[in-house]
Amino acid sequence: MVAPAWAQAQKADWADTERAARGQTVYFNAWAGSERINAYLQWAAAELQRDFGVKLQHVKISDAADVVKRIRAEKQAGRKDTEGTVDLVWINGENFAAMKRDGLLSAPFAQALPNFQWVDTVGKPTTLVDFSVPTDGLESPWGMAQLTFFADAQRLPKPPQNMAELLALARSQPGRITYPRPPNFHGTTFVKQALIEHAPDVKALAQPVTPAALAAQAAPLWRFLDALHPHLWRGGKQFPQNSAAVRQMMADGELVMALTFNPNEAANEIAAKRLPATVQSWQFAKGTIGNTHFVAIPYNAPSKAGAQLVANFLLSPAAQARKADIDVWGDPTVLDVARLPAAERARFQSASRPGQVAVTAPVLPEPHASWVDALEKEWTRRYGV
Amino acid sequence: MSFLPTFLLALIAALPMGWALWAAASQALDVSAWQALWADPQTLRAWGMTLWTGLASTVLVWWTVARLLAHGFIRQQLARWLTHVPALLATPHAAMAIGLVLWLSPSGWALRLVSPGLSGFDAPPPWLTTQDPWGLGLILALWLKEVPFLLWVAATQLQREDLRRRWQAEFALAQTLGHTPATAFAQVVWPQLAPRLRWPLLAVLAYGLTVVDMALIIGPATPPTLAVLAWQWLGDADAAMQAQGAAAAGWLTGTLLLAGVLTVMALRVVAAMRKFASRGSLPQSQTTDREGWLPQKTPTWVSYFCRRLPLQPNVMWTTILTTYAAVWFALTVGSVSGVWPFPQLWPSLWTGDAWAQVIASAPTVWTTLGLAAASASVCLVWSVAWLELTPRRWQQALRPWWLLPLVLPSVLWVVGLYSVALQWRLEGQWLGLLLAHAVMVLPYVLLALEPAYLAVDPRQSAVVASLGQSRWTDLLRIKWPLLKRAIASAWAVGFAVSVAQYLPTLYVGAGRFATVTTEAVTLASGAQRSLMSAYAALQMLLPVLAFALAAYLGRPRQFEKIGSMKDNT
Repeated sequence: MVAPAWAQAQKADWADTERAARGQTVYFNAWAGSERINAYLQWAAAELQRDFGVKLQHVKISDAADVVKRIRAEKQAGRKDTEGTVDLVWINGENFAAMKRDGLLSAPFAQALPNFQWVDTVGKPTTLVDFSVPTDGLESPWGMAQLTFFADAQRLPKPPQNMAELLALARSQPGRITYPRPPNFHGTTFVKQALIEHAPDVKALAQPVTPAALAAQAAPLWRFLDALHPHLWRGGKQFPQNSAAVRQMMADGELVMALTFNPNEAANEIAAKRLPATVQSWQFAKGTIGNTHFVAIPYNAPSKAGAQLVANFLLSPAAQARKADIDVWGDPTVLDVARLPAAERARFQSASRPGQVAVTAPVLPEPHASWVDALEKEWTRRYGV
Repeated sequence: MSFLPTFLLALIAALPMGWALWAAASQALDVSAWQALWADPQTLRAWGMTLWTGLASTVLVWWTVARLLAHGFIRQQLARWLTHVPALLATPHAAMAIGLVLWLSPSGWALRLVSPGLSGFDAPPPWLTTQDPWGLGLILALWLKEVPFLLWVAATQLQREDLRRRWQAEFALAQTLGHTPATAFAQVVWPQLAPRLRWPLLAVLAYGLTVVDMALIIGPATPPTLAVLAWQWLGDADAAMQAQGAAAAGWLTGTLLLAGVLTVMALRVVAAMRKFASRGSLPQSQTTDREGWLPQKTPTWVSYFCRRLPLQPNVMWTTILTTYAAVWFALTVGSVSGVWPFPQLWPSLWTGDAWAQVIASAPTVWTTLGLAAASASVCLVWSVAWLELTPRRWQQALRPWWLLPLVLPSVLWVVGLYSVALQWRLEGQWLGLLLAHAVMVLPYVLLALEPAYLAVDPRQSAVVASLGQSRWTDLLRIKWPLLKRAIASAWAVGFAVSVAQYLPTLYVGAGRFATVTTEAVTLASGAQRSLMSAYAALQMLLPVLAFALAAYLGRPRQFEKIGSMKDNT
C-alpha cells in the first residue's frame, strides 16, 4: 500500500516532532481537584516516558484562570517564545477565548496531530467550536461534557425533564433544590440551560451578545427565575459556592438533586462510596448544554514538540478509552468510536454501572462566549446582592 | 555600632518588599478598574459585610484575650493554658471552618444527635446555621482561630524577664494599696501590656478583614465579603476583571489602614480615660466588680445577668478547647466517611481512599519541609542580626515597615511578589519561592523574637566584655543560650507560616513546587469532604512537629516562672 505524497510528508513532519520531543519535560497545567484525574495523568506520564521518552509533569492547579493570568503576566514581562513556565494547559470556554484574544497561544497544531483523524468533528461539533469560538487548531479536544443531573431515586422517583417540570418540583418540595451561584461555571450553565429553553429565538444566542439581544432573549428567563427562586434552598436568597457543595448537600439529604458536567460523575461517586447506589443520573429529554474540553499550548512553551506529542497521545484510542472507563475516570471520548478499527473499538466497550445516564439526550450547543459575562452581570444585579 | 550593617540588613529586606509593594500598588491604581468596582452592585454590601465581620471578630478577640490574660495572670493559669496553644495555632484556618460546618450545618452532627428522636426531623431543616447572611458563623470561626494567636503573642511579652519582674512588683504593690487583684491587673498591668499588643491586634484585624478561605466555607454567600469578591475577580481570566480585583484589594488595604489607625486611637482614648477616671480616686475594693470586667457603674441587674452568662475566663477557655477537640474529631470521622445521609449519627459507608491519597502525596512533605525550614532559618538569621547589630532607634523607626506583610491583604502581596519574581527572572525557581516565603514569614519571626531579645539586660554583655571575653563568646555562650526558647519558638512560627502559604507558592513557583498546602487546596477545589478533612491533618502535621521540636530545643522553665509568680510576691 502506497500512501499519498502529502500524507508521507506529514508523517515525516510528525517523525521530526517525535524526535524533537524525546528528552523534553512537558509541564502540563491541569485542574487537580479529583484524585481519579490525577491518577489517570500519572498513568499517561508512565506511558509517555516508556514509549516516547517524554517526561510529563502534572502541575496541579485549582483553577485554569490562574494559568491564563500567569501566562499573560509572563507576556507583559517580555518573556520570549521559549521562556514560559507552561507547556500545555487544560482549558475551554472563557479561558480559551481570553487566551486566543490576547495572543497567548502558540501556532495552530491540533489538526496536524496524527490522531486527530479519529475525532468526531461531525457528530460532536463542539470539538471545533469552543463556546461558539472557533478553535482554529489552537487547542486539541480532550473530552466531552454535558449538563447532567443526579438524584437518589428513592427520594426523587420521577426526575424533571425540563425547566418547567423543575419549577413544579421546586413548588412541591420547597427549599430542596438550588444551583451554584454564578459566575460559578455550573451555576452559569444552569442559567444558560434555562435561557435556551425559554429564549424566543435560539439562533440569536449563537451570535455575540448585544444589549438588545440580551433584553429580548433573556426576558422570559428572568421571569422564570423570578418564579423559581422563592421555592429554592434558602428561598433563593443565597446560593452555594459550587457544584461540589450542591453534591455534598444532596448526599447529606439537604437537597434532592445535584448537577454536574460529567455524565459519569454520579457513577464515579458511587464507586468511591460517597453516594449510595440508588442515585441515578439523567439529562433533560429535549437535550442539555454540552461542550468539549481541550488542551492548548501557550506561545512561550519551552517544550512545544513535547506538548504536541502529549496532546496526540491524549487523543489516541488507547488513552481515550482508558479515560472513558468509569473505573478510571469516566470522561466521555471525543473520538468517533464507530470509525475506529475493530481492535481499537473493542477498548471502548464496558458494562454500564449504577448511577450512569440511562438514556443519552441530545447535546445543545453553548451560547456564544460573550453571553456568559452579560448573563452573569445581569444575574448578579438581580439576585446576587 | 557602625552604620553599614544596619544599612545592608535594611536593604536586603526592604528591596524585595518595597519592589513588591510598588508593583502591587501600580496594579491597583487603574482608574477604569476603580470605576468598574464602584459600578458593581455587590461592592458596597460586600464591603459592609467585611467591615462587620472583621471588626466584630476583632473586638471579640480583644475582649476575650483581655479577660483571659487578667484571669491567667492573677490565678497563675497562663502556663497551663499555653501548653495547648501550639496545637491550636497549627490547626489550619480552613480546617477549622470545615469542622465547624460539619457540626453546625442543618445536616451537621449537632442536629443528627437529636434527630429524628427529639427534633422530629427526617431531613435537614431549612435553618441558616452555616453561611448565615449575618456572618455570625464567620465571626465565630475567626474568634476561635485568633484568640490563641493573640494570647500566644501576649505570652511572649510576659516571657520578658524585665517586664515580668516589674509588673509583678507593681501588681503586688497595687494590692497592698487595697486594690483587688482584678483592679490591680486592670489598672497597673493591663495598661502597660495592651500597647505592646498593638501590632498583633492589627494583624488580627487585617486577617479578619481579608480572610478568603474561611469566608468561602462558612461566611455569607450573597453577597460574600469583599475579600472573597476580590479573590474571585483576581482569579478571572478576563484582564479587566482582574484589574477590578486588584482595585478591590487596594480598597481593602485602605480600609485596613483606616481601621488600624482608628483602632490604635481607640486604644489610646480608652487608656487616657482610664487614667483620668482613676486619678484621685481611692481604691474601692468593696464596691468594685469582683471580676473587674464590667464598667464600674453597671446597673445591678445587668451585672447580675452578665455574671450568670458562661463568660468566665475558665469557661471560655474550656469552650475554646472543647470546640477544637470537637472539630478535630469531626474532621477525623469526616476523613473516613463515605455515604452519610441525614439523620444517621455515623456514616453508613466508610472509606480509606482519602488517607490513601494523603500517603500518595507524601513526597510533597519534603518540598514543604525544605522550603519552610529554609525560609524560617533565613528570617531568623536576619532577625537576630537586625536585633543584634542595629541601633535601637533604627529598629523602632523601621519596625512598621517590616511588619507590613502582616497587615496588608495577602492577595495584594501575591500580585506584587509575583511581579518581582517575573522581573528578576525567578519565576518557577526555588530561589524565587524562598524569597516570596521569606517576605511572608519575616514579620512573624521578628514579632515572636523581638520581645525576648530586647529584654536581655545589656549589662550582662558589659560584664562579659569586662572579663576580657569576645563578643562571639558572649553571644554563643551567654546570650543566645539564654534566648534559646524564644529563638526556637520564633523559628517554629516562621515554619508554620511558610507551610500555610498557598497563592505565593502557586504563582512564584509556577505551580512546579507542590507543597502539602498546594496539594490540599487543589484537591479541595473538588470539595470532597473526606479529602479535605484528611489533608487538614497533613497540613497540621508539619507545624505541630515544628512546635514540638521548638519546645524540646528551648526547654528552660520560662513558663513555669510565670506560673510561680505568686510565690515570689
